[in-house]
Amino acid sequence: MQEKLKNIIYHLKAKKVAYGDARYVCTTRQSIGVKDQIVEAISQNDDMGVGIRVVVDGCWGFASTSILAEDELIKAANLAIKIAKASALTKREEVNLAGVEPYVDKYATGYREDPFSVPIDEKLKLLFEITKILRANKAVQLAHANLDFFRTKKIFVSTEGALIEQDIMESGGGYEATAVGGGEAQKRSYPASHRGDYACAGYEFVRQMGLIENAERVAEEASILIKAKDCPVGETTVIITGSQMALQVHESCGHPAELDRVLGTEISLAGGSFMTLDQLGKLKYGSEIVNIVADSTIPGGLGTFGYDDEGVKACRSDIICDGQHVGYLSSRETAPVIKTPSNGCMRADGWNSIPLIRMTNINLEPGQWDFNELIADTKKGLLLDMNKTWSIDDKRLNFQFGTEAAWAIKDGKLGEMYKNPVYTGMTPKFWNSCNAICDRKLWHIWGIPSCGKGEPMQTAHVAHGTSPARFNNINVGVSK
Amino acid sequence: MIGESKVLTILREIIQKSAAEQTEAVFIGKDFGLTRYANSFIHQNVAVHNTTVFFRSAVDGKTGVSSTNSLNRESLLKAMKNSLEIAKFQPSNPDFKGFPQPAKYKKIDTYFEPTARYTPVQRAEVIKKICKEADKAKVTVAGAFSTSSSEVAVVNSNGLAAYQPVTAASINLIAMTDTSSGFASGLSRHVVKLPFGSITETAIRKCLESQNPVELEPGKYDVILEPAAIAEVMNWMTYIGFSAKAYLENTSFMSKKIGKKAMAPDITIYDDGSDQAGLAVPFDFEGVPKRKVFLVKKGLVGGPVYDSLYAVSGKTKSTGHALVPGSSEGPMAGNLFIAAGKKSRESLIAGVKDGVLVTRFHYINGLLNTTKTLMTGMTRDGTFRIKNGKVVGPVKNLRFTESIAKAFSRVGGVSRETNLVPNWWDDLGCCSSPTIHIKKFNFSGKTDF
Repeated sequence: MQEKLKNIIYHLKAKKVAYGDARYVCTTRQSIGVKDQIVEAISQNDDMGVGIRVVVDGCWGFASTSILAEDELIKAANLAIKIAKASALTKREEVNLAGVEPYVDKYATGYREDPFSVPIDEKLKLLFEITKILRANKAVQLAHANLDFFRTKKIFVSTEGALIEQDIMESGGGYEATAVGGGEAQKRSYPASHRGDYACAGYEFVRQMGLIENAERVAEEASILIKAKDCPVGETTVIITGSQMALQVHESCGHPAELDRVLGTEISLAGGSFMTLDQLGKLKYGSEIVNIVADSTIPGGLGTFGYDDEGVKACRSDIICDGQHVGYLSSRETAPVIKTPSNGCMRADGWNSIPLIRMTNINLEPGQWDFNELIADTKKGLLLDMNKTWSIDDKRLNFQFGTEAAWAIKDGKLGEMYKNPVYTGMTPKFWNSCNAICDRKLWHIWGIPSCGKGEPMQTAHVAHGTSPARFNNINVGVSK
Repeated sequence: MIGESKVLTILREIIQKSAAEQTEAVFIGKDFGLTRYANSFIHQNVAVHNTTVFFRSAVDGKTGVSSTNSLNRESLLKAMKNSLEIAKFQPSNPDFKGFPQPAKYKKIDTYFEPTARYTPVQRAEVIKKICKEADKAKVTVAGAFSTSSSEVAVVNSNGLAAYQPVTAASINLIAMTDTSSGFASGLSRHVVKLPFGSITETAIRKCLESQNPVELEPGKYDVILEPAAIAEVMNWMTYIGFSAKAYLENTSFMSKKIGKKAMAPDITIYDDGSDQAGLAVPFDFEGVPKRKVFLVKKGLVGGPVYDSLYAVSGKTKSTGHALVPGSSEGPMAGNLFIAAGKKSRESLIAGVKDGVLVTRFHYINGLLNTTKTLMTGMTRDGTFRIKNGKVVGPVKNLRFTESIAKAFSRVGGVSRETNLVPNWWDDLGCCSSPTIHIKKFNFSGKTDF
């Protein structure tokens, strides 16, 4: 395949493109989902092809094909050139790319156990065991459990001389127990909602998730939740657990820090950002204990890789430092606008997609608090756990998130469980009310395999390292 | 395009080699071009050629799915064999009663050469004209314009064979100033039917009229929801409410309520795969002919859409709404219609004493309480105050939190004009919607713009 890609580059150079790259991607995905004691969906999908990106006449063109014959690849390269020339019909300014070293390198995810070599019957046995435990609780009327594995081979070549091979392995899964009664349904999930938790890792990640060990507790909590009172309405202190903090970081920091959104190129679908260029270095995004970094180098993160899909090496960079907005997620095209090198965030969800600025591992750095001491330090408030709903405006300011469950905190102790908790706020005001972040003991990188962006929609695999954190004066229960 | 004869021959030849009791092959081939523009110039311009074949093998009541996007014989045979291997490891599914039998399909024109042959240069020329109009109006524009041609085929070992070529053209457009934005969109199987001029005019007019919006305190207001806003709500309803999966799992507003009142008598919602006013296609991804399904009829709960698997547990027949093999979402309505009313859009506005006109919603989430269809979301791209029957000026965007079934029980009127709106995540599904007047709609929050 490498030779075929090199031939594309020879061809693009002969056509005198200003820039060109070709990316081969081959992905195998195995997905297993069970409902109670029945297999709901089980599949293995192979997908491969080549995407070719060029700059001609100062504009971008992209063409891709699943047919890997030499003549078809050259045809796709010519189509990319033709498309770039069409783009030039509306040109306002030339594409200007930040410089990058043309790396020749190989990268592979480190893992101990190939998930594709673990027999399917062993995986099904695990999932059926989980749903059996969940359904053993009579209040639970529905139990879902799933596992997903991705193996991706990428080869990237460019007219600048880059030649990068990457082998990425991703594994994960989760489950949910649904209790139905009184005209509504209530869910509890583990280890995270919306299909679980994922990592760049092998099957060892699944083995250490504690899936069986937590099933009985999850079922019990679902059974309590269906009979619980609605979450009280009002302004209060909230402590948000790690997986919900991951969603909070994702929606209210990760997306608005994407420089393409800031520059308006995602406005028609996903929207823009309140973190505008004039705010860089000036906006007090959060309180002084809030530090958020983009780090695509951290081992095991679902947003970890060797190089992005423009050949930029993985790196760590500050987005929020001591509460100040200091950086963005960028690409080679957008980085010159803020006069920095690209911090390597361009990724496509396959050979047939053009790379976009995507989150990597966007992490809220751990603080100083022990979780138990944090609860003990809170006179009155709520502990909010596990995402249920998410909605935020198109500049990422007004948000409303729902969690699966809440617990009352009174005089430093956890009390009654509540259903249907919802909290809302304006992003900078919310983060400026953060007065405690838990330490590294509960800090975990939550993998999210379903971040949507772009037209046509692309699904990125991203992650967020978080630990529980406390916020003051938050409006809860607003759905009433 | 590979063509009906060749596609069906390839699939039939491969499944003949299957060692499974029953085998199904689903072919999806697509040539897709999309041009995105923002800040009044084209910034992304792409073409994709892809074909995927899904195999589903069945043995002893168990099914496994495997797919490949390589059409060489070796890859196809490997994927088919893999689907059988996956099937073998499972316990039997009592709801699986075999793949569908051969059927007759309605002949529907879903393929239009001008759409299939539309070039990147033609798309760029349309956008150039839009940008020119935007410059004249001193606004900037952003959006996407796509054209595609696809082939869908289903073959199974019972002798079923279905093939349909389809085309689609879709455009969305946001016009913007520093303080405002306006939205319009268009969708058709036939690119020449897209009214680029009126789409551009609507988006620019809404943008100019929504400059310098004022703050409006959240609360209950009568609303005029335009088709794009309704369609965004309906996208969620297809997922949480209209599917047999949600219905049978008792998480749908329809569960155990067939024939009971759910909405106002003015509201009829149905899915009709053969209605060419939408994105018609005669069969689903199991090759089952699409039936017209009344989801809500004159305010009463009709019933959900089914695929063959959920039809067994629902003790009924498939309505032809299966997704691609291996999907865990269950059956899905894709060609959705909300029946038009008798009033004009203008007369609906004239009937509102103190309310809000909503062009479009953003980032709705419908998982708050699915049995109650409780959803939240933001307004965007043109939100206006209505007073004494007239649109009097723009307001800053608002958050709603509302039970959609309850809101649709407080209907003040339904317009006779409808618009076809694409699903926001793909060009496979759509919703044809009128403008609807809802009374006392709950806005629970506000934002700064």
